[in-house]
Amino acid sequence: MTPKLYASAAALALMAGTAMADGHGHMKFKPGEGAFSWDSYNAWAESAPDLSGQTVTVAGPWLQPEDDVFRSVLAYFTEATGAEAIYTGSDSFEQQIVIDAEAGSAPNIAVFPQPGLAADMAARGLLSPLPASMAPWTVENYGAGQSWVDLGTYADKDGADQHYGFFYNVNVKSLVWYVPENFEDAEYEVPETMEELRALTEQIVADGETPWCIGLGSGAATGWPATDWVEDIMLRTQPADVYDAWTTNDIPFNDERVVAAIEEFGWFVGDDAKVSGGAGAVATTDFRDSPKGMFAAPAECYMHRQASFVPAFFPEGIEFGEDVDFFYFPSYEGKDLGNPVLGGGTLMAITDPSDATTALMEFFQLPLAHEVFGAQSGFLTPLKSVNPETYLNDALRGQADILVNATTFRFDGSDLMPGGVGAGSFWTGMVDFTGGKDAATVAAEIQDSWDALK
Amino acid sequence: MDNIAGRKSGLSWAVNISVALLVALWLFPTVGLLVSSFRTADQISASGWWKSLFSAEQVVQLRTGGAEAATQEGDLWVVEGNLLDEAEDGPAPGITITRFGVSSKAVDAFAVGDTATFSKDEKTFTMDAAGNYRFTSTEKLRKRGQRVFITATLPPDFTLENYDQVLFSGNSNDSMAKAFFNTLTVTIPATIIPILIAAFAAYALAWMEFPGRVLLIATVVGLLVVPLQLALIPLLKLHLNIGIGKGYLGVWLAHTGFGLPLAIYLLRNYMAGLPKDIIENAKVDGATDFQIFTKIILPLSFPALASFAILQFLWTWNDLLVAKVFLIDATGNTTVMTNQIVELLGTRGGNWEILATAAFVSIVAPLCVFFAMQRYLVRGLLAGSVK
Repeated sequence: MTPKLYASAAALALMAGTAMADGHGHMKFKPGEGAFSWDSYNAWAESAPDLSGQTVTVAGPWLQPEDDVFRSVLAYFTEATGAEAIYTGSDSFEQQIVIDAEAGSAPNIAVFPQPGLAADMAARGLLSPLPASMAPWTVENYGAGQSWVDLGTYADKDGADQHYGFFYNVNVKSLVWYVPENFEDAEYEVPETMEELRALTEQIVADGETPWCIGLGSGAATGWPATDWVEDIMLRTQPADVYDAWTTNDIPFNDERVVAAIEEFGWFVGDDAKVSGGAGAVATTDFRDSPKGMFAAPAECYMHRQASFVPAFFPEGIEFGEDVDFFYFPSYEGKDLGNPVLGGGTLMAITDPSDATTALMEFFQLPLAHEVFGAQSGFLTPLKSVNPETYLNDALRGQADILVNATTFRFDGSDLMPGGVGAGSFWTGMVDFTGGKDAATVAAEIQDSWDALK
Repeated sequence: MDNIAGRKSGLSWAVNISVALLVALWLFPTVGLLVSSFRTADQISASGWWKSLFSAEQVVQLRTGGAEAATQEGDLWVVEGNLLDEAEDGPAPGITITRFGVSSKAVDAFAVGDTATFSKDEKTFTMDAAGNYRFTSTEKLRKRGQRVFITATLPPDFTLENYDQVLFSGNSNDSMAKAFFNTLTVTIPATIIPILIAAFAAYALAWMEFPGRVLLIATVVGLLVVPLQLALIPLLKLHLNIGIGKGYLGVWLAHTGFGLPLAIYLLRNYMAGLPKDIIENAKVDGATDFQIFTKIILPLSFPALASFAILQFLWTWNDLLVAKVFLIDATGNTTVMTNQIVELLGTRGGNWEILATAAFVSIVAPLCVFFAMQRYLVRGLLAGSVK
């Protein structure tokens, strides 16, 4: 029986090998229809070189459902140039891209989830600089353009700064999600200043309910949602240049201003009455599960501070604007620091240059390449020429609005710190802090780990 | 029974109970995973799987009709209907509602039949146990209806959606079926090649006299402790330099290399334990080494070959690391089941229902292989051949 089993299995395997289909998506929106920027696309498509027969490969961290969305963006590139553009996603992208680049089997373009790894690979000579026209184009066309160029500029193997990273798909982190009908039932108002938000938190506690759902659990990355909290509070209690100095360690991690920000986070998270499940449950609650408490009946909490991607983890059938809404994580009225916004984003860098790769990078300068993604999924772009009407829903339009109206935009600080801190001791330190450790001790330990890396 | 040697121990009940306990301990998580694979993501996050097996009292949020369904009666805007019938994704009609509420702060404030008056006496709501309701408001209604929380005992609710998604989602290029055949293409040669090589090597190391034999065995045993992660980048570089690149040939070679030390070690030890008399008899009768190997050693070693085949098959079937490094290239045409499952988990993970379902889908082939070959593990071929 066994030889037969092998024979038939092998036959099936051979059949599968021959049944290869094409690897690209199809155009989801018919050219010329909808509010998309077709004119600039058509103009580009006419002058685009004919690249039939060539292939561009893109590797990145997007899996379901974003991978299909991105493939549908690439379909418009294939339509215009004839070159095949293939995207593959991986959950362990950060490890795999290093192996592939080291061994010499890298894709043409890599989509990095954060700048730290890209800077690291640039320093090892594994990235190729972007076409020279990209930097001035970004300055001109992106909101706060120079800061995006700075975030994508790293030292190469010889220590010279070069422009490597092109930001595509940005998210806003300074958002507080809530259920409007729960607020109505309890007669709470949406707070507009940090003073009001703190008063509301105390009000909800006084009413015998729980104001916040906070979860830090994220497998090996447990703790990162707390770093976003601390960064957001840093921006609201200190000027932006202090924040910048903090992310580069020009001021030490255990500076009193940083410790004060951690303690302020502790004001929200360290009190059993203020957090769903109690302060002890924060570190063990998965960040993907924690927003669900808002939708429980009866509600387990009223507010959840999380980035713009979090609706992916809301229960099924939740409608934005009706069942759920968000407000801007407010700034202090008493401190004249404007309206700072914390964000993150993915950037593209060239790992294996070719003509078709250059053409694809040009394609990503078109508003259409941003609009098609934003029309299908949680996607924001700083590109000013994008038509806001094409965003999938009002939530994204509202977030795009926050992004545009920010007086200060700062990138996720933990992504800018060295990996050992920003994706290591900062995470674990925050878990220790929510577990009851003193803020000053935690900050001193994180600074020690930073010193050890120098 | 007194005259039978080896009497039944008086403590056999203790053995039976501990075996039963061990089996239960082993099965418990598996059963939980199986039950979870039939539940939706929202159900999994809302309650434990053990609760889903029985009817339980639950609070469910439903919605009345909105402005479009309202009729005007004098000063009042009125919506009437049945909550359970109108709900698209709610509990099945036919359940009995015991209590209801109209505010998230008091979800079971009213018994069915009562009338709730709220929003500064502007709105009233009443319903019966079957879900028939009447909602009135002095103001024009909003587009969306009023939220109503009902308390009812709900029967167990399971779905096949997860299996549908795992097995049939994706297009022809990116589906579980394709990944399944790709995985077979990887695992079958990656199981057969190391066994072929290892069987020859093991015979030579066990029964052929040549200088340096012991040193060679020691080297093979030493290789057992080398972590394969060390070899990933150098080996991939080698593959790229000699033109194999990323592909099936590369992954077969890698699996063969990583599997050989254990295979040779296992088979050599087994073959060395075979009775010397048989082999010497054969030599006296004029058999060559090759004849001894094919006619005597191979049939006698079948249990060891089968057990290593099972081990190697399971390891290559469940492998993600080696496949990612040596097989899956940027074109995405070669994906294996483990990788396909990881992709289904989504960009930020956390789709536990998919994880549970995928575990049961991917377990099928290894189970078939195990049951097909386990008799070779159990059957003592040797016992029958040597009188």
